[in-house]
This record gives sequence, structure tokens and C-alpha cells, in this order.
Amino acid sequence: MNNGPLLFLGLFAAMVFSWLGFVMGPQLQIGNLPQTNTVVVGDAISQAYPVALSGNAHQGEEVYRANGCAACHTQMVRAGDSSPLAGPDISHGWGARRSVAEDYLFDQPVLLGSQRIGPDLANYGRRSSIDAILRRLYDPRSLVPGSIMPSYRFFFKTRKIEGAPSPDALVLSGKDAPAPGYEVVPGPRARSLAAYLLSLHQDGYLYEAPPPALPPPPKTNAPPAMAVKK
Amino acid sequence: MSATVSPARTASNNPSEPSQAGLNVSCPIGMLYLLGAGLVWLLVALVLGFIDSLKFHAPGFLADHGFLSYGRVHAAAGSALLYGFGAQAALGIGLWLLCRLGRTTLAGPFVVFLGAFFWNFAVTVGVIAILCGNNTGFDAFEMPAVCAPTLFVSYAMIGICAMLTFHQRREGPLYPSQWFVVGALFWFPWIFSTAAILLLYMPVHGVLQAAIAWWYAHNFSMVFLGFSGLASSFYFIPKLLGRPLHSRQLAALAFWTLAVFGSWGGIPDGAPLPSWIASISVVGTVLMAIPMLALGDNFYHTARYGLNTLDADPTLRFTYVGLLFLFVAVAQQIVGALPNVSAITSLTWFGAAQKELFHLGFFAMTVFGAMYYIVPRLLGLGAEAWCPKLTKWHFGLTLAGILISYLALLVAGVEQGIMLAGTNHSFVEVMSSTLMPLRASTLGDLLFLAGTFVFLGNFLRVIGTWCCEFRRRAIKEAK
Repeated sequence: MNNGPLLFLGLFAAMVFSWLGFVMGPQLQIGNLPQTNTVVVGDAISQAYPVALSGNAHQGEEVYRANGCAACHTQMVRAGDSSPLAGPDISHGWGARRSVAEDYLFDQPVLLGSQRIGPDLANYGRRSSIDAILRRLYDPRSLVPGSIMPSYRFFFKTRKIEGAPSPDALVLSGKDAPAPGYEVVPGPRARSLAAYLLSLHQDGYLYEAPPPALPPPPKTNAPPAMAVKK
Repeated sequence: MSATVSPARTASNNPSEPSQAGLNVSCPIGMLYLLGAGLVWLLVALVLGFIDSLKFHAPGFLADHGFLSYGRVHAAAGSALLYGFGAQAALGIGLWLLCRLGRTTLAGPFVVFLGAFFWNFAVTVGVIAILCGNNTGFDAFEMPAVCAPTLFVSYAMIGICAMLTFHQRREGPLYPSQWFVVGALFWFPWIFSTAAILLLYMPVHGVLQAAIAWWYAHNFSMVFLGFSGLASSFYFIPKLLGRPLHSRQLAALAFWTLAVFGSWGGIPDGAPLPSWIASISVVGTVLMAIPMLALGDNFYHTARYGLNTLDADPTLRFTYVGLLFLFVAVAQQIVGALPNVSAITSLTWFGAAQKELFHLGFFAMTVFGAMYYIVPRLLGLGAEAWCPKLTKWHFGLTLAGILISYLALLVAGVEQGIMLAGTNHSFVEVMSSTLMPLRASTLGDLLFLAGTFVFLGNFLRVIGTWCCEFRRRAIKEAK
């Protein structure tokens, strides 16, 4: 190993080996996943999945990114080896099935996170409401005593009530209650972040993440029309 | 295994070697800038990390100011640590080793200085931007897109000078430290440009972004910082013990297996990716045992008769401890990658503990050791320029700090993982039970921070001694 060019060549080969495996290979397999249809269960109607975020929710995603929410919250439900529908994450109520690549088609950037200091948020929109989200952003411990989440009061504005109170004002009590004649209203960042959090749900059943009971598979490989004729 | 060339030989008994004075005159500014600025960034990262840690004692602490909220400070601390300290320290030590082992002077010292200046400018802009809410959202790659071109160009300025220095070396045979430095120098621009293009400028589709971000973060730590730290260990341990390196073949085995397997990893268990990617990540991580065994055997046989010199030399002391922490950190990573273990420990404080041990326990301690040797020599001073008392305090505080912090986070991670794997506890109960070890880790963070402040004081003392010496010489020459 005294030859400089050979050393470079070897390093280049090692680098390319890693690059092909972790960048190129996945790109070829899942780099162009299309939007798909959900698996039909019972009388439900198949729907396009996933759907793009609305404008306000997309702005909320920016607030989520800018404030480093992914430092504490993941957005991926994991399942055990035995079934995509069972595992500690699902038992904790964080989702009905494991997360799959299709769930993130319209996320930009994809904020999966790498540590859980707070609960997983992949399906947070299914287990919360806008009032609860705003209250939690303003004072997390008012709803969940013992929570270690910091408050985000700088997303809110405390202002003097002029005329009728704002319908958006938070209903606060105790130490959080504003001074008489004043109200706390969510600012644009709080509203859009709440819209984003409400948009989080990964509950479309797909072939990679099927529902508990799939419809019985066809008994023949023939196209459905021909199978009916028989 | 045959004994091989020792760096102990390279600095003496060779008339063609540039004199120590020659090396000092041509090289020091750029390298000193990289090392000194790296040290300041380490302090910035530790202070920000300490602020973050305090939020586990009082979640409302500094929470009313957006720029000091947990998520932003956490990302800023990480960027300051990796890019401000890690990359600059790696470059500073790498350049010095290339000069020293190649028996040559630094090519383009002014370009290196300029590159270091622009690098620091970009990192400053990046850290401030993160605190102001301009965060890419990718772990270990948080600085906004606007910083990436400056970082790349300034790295290229330093890297090209490093390659020219390597090319003009006067010592033909390469010593293992040179392989590791060249490997690190080559690795960074490749992974950085891949991440910048595919995550920021022409972002790939969907969840692939997360896969690339994990791959980048893993390569940055394990290969770029790992190679840089090991280059220093390979130089200083044989050099200061005055013994030849036990085996060049084992060093080569460690180098190539670390390059191949060290770059295959970082994907957490259960990630929403095709399962073969996670499986390869596990295999690559487990096979990291090969370079670790090769390194362990090599360093053990090189150093086993020299352990009595530990007290005598701070460089050896820090380098030994750094190596020990490297083995523990990688062993933990291997255990944590095993499917049955990762199902419990993945996404918990277990991973944070491992990262802390790798970055502060291994890399920072190794850099401290190298700086104790390099800085006085760059300034033409002897090792006595360091205050021995401060050196001892530095070692004691940083060692105690990293041990307390690591063990506390490890306990928190295991506890969190076990409780979350069951269904009897709510998430709030799980997090409440980890608060005690998390709060204990704050003490560790504080001690490490105090130790690094002591080192900064000692560093400034050396610079002060050099200034006095310089002035004394100038007056003497004037007379």
C-alpha cells in the first residue's frame, strides 16, 4: 500500500460499492413509486393514496421542520416480525399498521426522525383535534401532566379584547389564563402546524401493509371477466 | 506479523527532512486556525448541548424564545460539533500528519488559511440560520442549502492543498496514518456532495431522502471522523512509545474493512424501506467487528509494554482513552444492530449514548491528545508550554464527564426501550422514568464542558507563551 493512485482507486471502489448499495439501489427500487389505490375492505371504496398536503398543512410542515420537531418525534410505525399489524408501536396506539415507503410520497422533506423523546406522530391526525393541539402547543402540561415537551408560546399572541372575543381564542384556565380583558390567539405558525399535524395519518391499507382480513384471493389466474363466465 | 515502519523513525536521522523550524515557519497559520477554531466550535456545541440538557430539568427553560427552543438548539449543537469541530479538527490534524510523514511542507498555506476562513464563515451562517429556524430537517445535515456550496468550495481549497502536500512527499513508502488521512479527505466530498444534491438541490422522491440522510450521517461519523481519529492514533501511539507498529498488514485489513463495512450502516430497525436495505445495514454494522479486532490486536501488541508511560504524556493518555471508547462505541453499535436488541433499543436514548461516546469519547479525546503534541511544535515551542496542572484537570474533567454522560444516557436508553417494548406503561410514564438518568447526564455534560474550557485556557496560555517568545526574539534581533 505504498502506491498513491492505487490507494485512491481502492477508496473509490469502496465508496462506489457503498453508494450503489445505499443510494442507487434504493433509488432504482423505490425512487419512482407512484400514487396508488388503497385495498378495498368490505363495502369501502378504493381511494387514491397518499394525497398531497393542503397549502396550510404544507406551511405547517415547514414550521415542523424549522423548529426541529423531528429531534423528538418520529413519524414511522414499526411492526414486529410476525405481522405488519402487531408490535409495540401499534399497541401504544400510534397506528393500525406499520409504515411503508408509499406513505411518504408527498412529504418534502421526509421527516422520519431518529429518536423518540416524544410519541410517534405518524397517525397523530387520527387521535387529536385542533383544540387539543393548540392547547398542547401553548402549555403541554395542561393536558398531559408530567409531559417534558417544551411549550411553544411564541406561536401565540396575547392581545387585548376589542369588541367581541375572538372565536379562535384558546380556552385557558388557572395559571395559563390571560389577564382579564385579554385573550390568547394562535398565530399563523400555530394554525399551520396544527393543520399539518391533523393531516398526519397513514391508514390507507395497501398490499404492502394489508388490512387484518384481506378479501379472499381469486381462485383462478384468469382475468375477472373470464372467471365470472366460468 | 512482522513489525513495520514506525513514525518514530520518520522525524529523525534523515538529512533530507525539513528542519523543525522550516516546518514551523511554513505551516502553522492554517493548521492552527483549523485546530483553534475547531476548539471554539466544540465549546459552542457543548454550551448549546448543555442548554438542551437543562430543558430536561425544566421544560420551560428558555422556551419562550424561538431561537432557543429545544429542536433548534439541538440541531445547532449537532452542526457545531460535526462541522465546526469535527471536520476542522480532522483537517488540521490530517494536514499536519501529511506534512510530518511526507517530510515536506504544507502546499499552499495561504489557500488553506483562506479555505478555513470560508469554512468557519459558512458554519457560522449555518448555525445562526438553524437557530433562526432555517433547518433542513435532516439529522447531521441541518445547515441550510445556502451553506453547502461555500462548505464544499472551502473544503476543496483545503483538500487540494492536502493532496498536493501528499503528492510532494519526500518519503516514498506510506505509513498507515497517511492511508487513513487520504481516505478521510476523499470520503467527505463524495458523501457531502451526494447528500447536498440528492437532499437539497434535486431532492429524491419520498422516503429515499431519509435513507440517504441516515447513510450520510453514518458515513460522516464512522468513516470520515473514524479515519481521521485513527490516523492520529496510528501516528502517536508508536511514535511516543518509541516502538514500531506491530503489523502493517493488520492496519491494512482494518483500513479496508472499515472503508467497506463502516460505510454500510445507519438505517434504524423497522424503517419504512425495503427490508434488504435494513438487512444490509445490520450485516455491515456487525462486520465492523473485523476492523475493530484488527485494530485491537495491532494496538495491543504495539503498546503493551508502554502502558507505564501513560502518566508521562498527555497525548498518549488521551489517545489510549479515545481508542478504548472507540471500541466500546462500535461494540455497542454492533450489539444494537442485532435484530432482537434493535427491536428494543432503536429510536431510544441508546443511540444517542453511542453517538456521544463516539464523537466526544473517541474523536474529541483523540483530537485533544493530538493537539497536546501538535500545537507547541507548530509554534516552535516544547511540550512544557502546556501547564501540567491544567492538563491533568482537563483529562480528569473530560474523562469523568464523558463517562457520566454516556452511562446515564445508556441507562436511559435501555430503560426506555424495555418499557416501550411492553404495553403496561403510557409514553409519559416511560419518559418520566428516564428523567433521572437524563438529568444525571447533565452533570456529565457540565464536567466535559468545564474540562474543555480548561483546555481552551491552556491553549491560550501556549499561544501567550509563543507571543512572549516571539516578542523577545524580535527585541533581541533588533538589538
